[in-house]
Amino acid sequence: MIKNYLKTAWRNLAQNKTTSIISVAGLAVGICCFLLLTTYLINELRYDRFHDKADRIVRIAFSHKSADDPEAKTTSVTPTAPVPVFKQELSEIEDGVRIYDYSGNRPAAIQYGDKLLSEKKMLLADDSFFKIFGFKFLAGDRATALASPLSVVITQSTAKRYFGNENPLGKVLKVNQTRSLMVSGVVEDVPEYSQIKFNMVGNYAMLDRSKTREWSSSNDYSYLLLKPGASVPSAQAKMNSYLNKLFKDQTGGGKSWFTLEPLTKVHLYSTAGGGLEPAGNIKYIYILGIVSVILLLLACVNFLNLVTAKSAERAKEIGVRKVMGAQRGQLFFQFITEAGIITFVSLVTGLLLATICFPAFSNFSGQVLSFSTWNTSWLIYALVSLFIIVTLLAGTYPSLYLSAFKPIVTLKGNTGGQAGGNTLRKSLVVFQFVVSVFFIICTLIAGGQLKYIQNLNTGMSRQQVMVLEIGGMPYSSMEPFKNDLMQQPGVQGATATYDSPVNVRGGYSINSADGKASDFELSVIAMPVEKSFIKTMGIHLVQGNDLDLGDEQRVLTPKSEERNYSFILNETAIRAMGWKPKDAIGKHIGLNGRMGTIKAIAKDFNFTSLHDKISPIVMFPEYDWFGKLLVKTNGKNTANTIAAVQTKWHKYYPNTPIEFHFLDQEFEAMYKTEQRTGSILKAFTVVTIFISCLGLFGLAVFSTRQRVKEIGIRKVLGANVMSIVTLISADFLKLVVIAVIISSPLAWYAMGKWLQDFAYRIEINWWVFAVAGGTAILIAFITVSYQSIKAALSNPVKSLRSE
Amino acid sequence: MLSLQHISKFYQVGGNKNFVINDISLEVEEGEFISIMGPSGSGKSTLLNIIGMLDEPSTGFHYFVDQPVHQLKEKQRAALYKQYIGFVFQAYHLIDELTVYENIETPLIYQDVKGSERKAMVADMLDRFNIVGKKDLFPAQLSGGQQQLVGIARALIAKPKVLLADEPTGNLNSKQGEEIMELFRKLNKEDGVTIIQVTHSEKNAEYGSRIINLLDGRVESSKKL
Repeated sequence: MIKNYLKTAWRNLAQNKTTSIISVAGLAVGICCFLLLTTYLINELRYDRFHDKADRIVRIAFSHKSADDPEAKTTSVTPTAPVPVFKQELSEIEDGVRIYDYSGNRPAAIQYGDKLLSEKKMLLADDSFFKIFGFKFLAGDRATALASPLSVVITQSTAKRYFGNENPLGKVLKVNQTRSLMVSGVVEDVPEYSQIKFNMVGNYAMLDRSKTREWSSSNDYSYLLLKPGASVPSAQAKMNSYLNKLFKDQTGGGKSWFTLEPLTKVHLYSTAGGGLEPAGNIKYIYILGIVSVILLLLACVNFLNLVTAKSAERAKEIGVRKVMGAQRGQLFFQFITEAGIITFVSLVTGLLLATICFPAFSNFSGQVLSFSTWNTSWLIYALVSLFIIVTLLAGTYPSLYLSAFKPIVTLKGNTGGQAGGNTLRKSLVVFQFVVSVFFIICTLIAGGQLKYIQNLNTGMSRQQVMVLEIGGMPYSSMEPFKNDLMQQPGVQGATATYDSPVNVRGGYSINSADGKASDFELSVIAMPVEKSFIKTMGIHLVQGNDLDLGDEQRVLTPKSEERNYSFILNETAIRAMGWKPKDAIGKHIGLNGRMGTIKAIAKDFNFTSLHDKISPIVMFPEYDWFGKLLVKTNGKNTANTIAAVQTKWHKYYPNTPIEFHFLDQEFEAMYKTEQRTGSILKAFTVVTIFISCLGLFGLAVFSTRQRVKEIGIRKVLGANVMSIVTLISADFLKLVVIAVIISSPLAWYAMGKWLQDFAYRIEINWWVFAVAGGTAILIAFITVSYQSIKAALSNPVKSLRSE
Repeated sequence: MLSLQHISKFYQVGGNKNFVINDISLEVEEGEFISIMGPSGSGKSTLLNIIGMLDEPSTGFHYFVDQPVHQLKEKQRAALYKQYIGFVFQAYHLIDELTVYENIETPLIYQDVKGSERKAMVADMLDRFNIVGKKDLFPAQLSGGQQQLVGIARALIAKPKVLLADEPTGNLNSKQGEEIMELFRKLNKEDGVTIIQVTHSEKNAEYGSRIINLLDGRVESSKKL
């Protein structure tokens, strides 16, 4: 019996090539997208779960709120003390590790023989690192790998990079020309889905601060391994009560506390940020999850529509089979089999399509994805259940519908009378277009916002600025290099700063000021800069004068208590202090012990993500440590300028590889998640439109066939082609218009929510809806017109013959 | 074999009942060959469909091999029908996607006949109708007469006791029609199949053993030949 079903099904499909191809295409694309998205989701959800002790590892997040701060600041870094202290004090804690991102500020220069490589992913960690985290060892001993302060554990591909096929164990790498580290272990490459990514891990003991137990100055990522069965909230409560006891005598009303975040939740849920790498966002996971299900649904709906649309042709067969003694159940099974075949073919096509699309999708999503992301048995389960679900979803309704045909009616050649389910099919098409129009609107708005961000005047000229990583190079060694650079054609200016000016993170506080109480404390962002910073970056001063040589001189003395600082505050900072701009100049303030006067007020500019409102910032000259050298170029012949900068660098620093990027790129990289979501959205908009059009096409085929007689009669009565095309198309365009009306408010609401995440955002304009609606209607019209023109051109003699 | 008592079939149109079949009673013995005649709209096909259990009467009693059809449930009726009745249509109604062989085989599939047995039965039938050479062709590749032969072969494959034919020769030329009628006569005489056919043709009607004339849903006359 099955054989007979398969045979009929196959011949039916082969005979109706257009609809079969449309069904398969729609389903295959839907399945492909579903697979791609679920792979992405799996990758996000399996983050950090590969450590065998993952369920017991927590990260410490550190929050601080000064008395005068409107809200607390939470960071993913902690001071040096918590890990060793709590390991000692708390019975819940089995072990702990501090991790310092050694190459975070500038890549480490690693030398092996005459090979000099720049290492961007080098961590320093306490020797417990490999006891807590389950990175797989290929060589060396997990327990003792980091025992020596001068040992280093590297990954497989790093080993290959430095040593080729030689045995890496025991080899010595020279780091930043100061320390020689011996390779004591090789681990497998860190998977993509690990928040802790590294090429090499050295011992934390290399750092001077490793011996101290400080409760201020946060630089390290701290992880704790809890004892089996220990409760996270109780450990956290104990830590905080310890902290409160420790600082109970401290005045000022400031408050600090720790939060323990389970390792497996850090990537998607952390409020303190990802830390060693940008965090994901559970919100986007939900959105994409919903999108993937909707896409699959759309594809199923499509299939369902096409099959029922073909029902007129199957009616006779069904009637005959029933007269031959077929039970409804048997017919149902036959049609489910057909749906199964289509699903199977689509599934295979979708799998192939997904395999082809993975590289492109990996680019889109910024993650390396493939079917190997899946656990093999899961993948098989998933595909089998996908097969069953899609078959049932797409096949049940048509099968029920078709198998219910009454033979006596169908055999009279009259199927029009049985063509129920019209409302359902129409609603499904409306549903498809609601989704499509929704996506179009979202894409337009998201695109507009991203463009807005790129073009927004942030109050700073970040174009054509090269950022050189100098990572704490002494100013004295930098100055001649800088002066030499200034002589190069194409270089307009050069200035050193602590941090990148598009993403300033330094947390400081103003803790004394003229006219304020002695326990005054206001958290601000602050950044040490060179005197030429304001001028080079084109920041506008509303009051006071730019920094000059005198300001530089007053801070050059090594003893900080002898220094006299000149501060530049932005307008927001002045407002936060409760001052008027014109009164503020010359006031004395203290910034974490740095005493000085306010020299100028800068017009507000964006120095962090545009998600956040501009907050108070203080810039001050301090030449102790600079992280970046900003080289402003004139934008002409950039390649030459870059080459010149590189040549000079090698002349001055022959032993340090050059690392640079453009400020613009860095700025845009801050919106990577949004851009990524934007491009995913764009791709899936195209897909939904495609699938919806297939659905509409199916409905058009169905309805024109149903109205063949009507069209024939109209033509005999003298209707011309144009009027018939209009007649048929109008019916469908009505559906699309309904869809536009339904989806516009939904999209307006959803995108309004999304935009709220940005402190600087566009207004949603009415034309977005007009464009989206217009696009949908136009596409729908093109889809339908083929069928309606065909119907309008058909010979009425043929369609009326049967009567 | 078959008994209809006071069978009526009507549609409610506004407040009026529109009768298609109006109080027809009919007894059919095993081995009879009945021709039903009458002008268009006299209710011939409806009567045939009621006999074939494809349609249900509005009122009346219907017995088939001593079973009260009007009281049976859908499933029981289907079982009865599968076992005893074969259908032949004016428009042949072969399944276009199936070959001649497969078309003939289909009823057996629905009766859960085993594969090997099916093969033998279909081969036998092909042989009997002299269409072995055409078994792999699709309906579209056959002439009308040949298609109807396949239709009849398909109707007979499950060895029904009753063959119902709705204008079996309506789409055929006179020579083809004659052949089909000869076949019917042979089936009736040699195999004892009870045949009830609807026809417009006086000549074809005379192949039967009894002619029933319908007019406006009533039996106008009935004569044995």
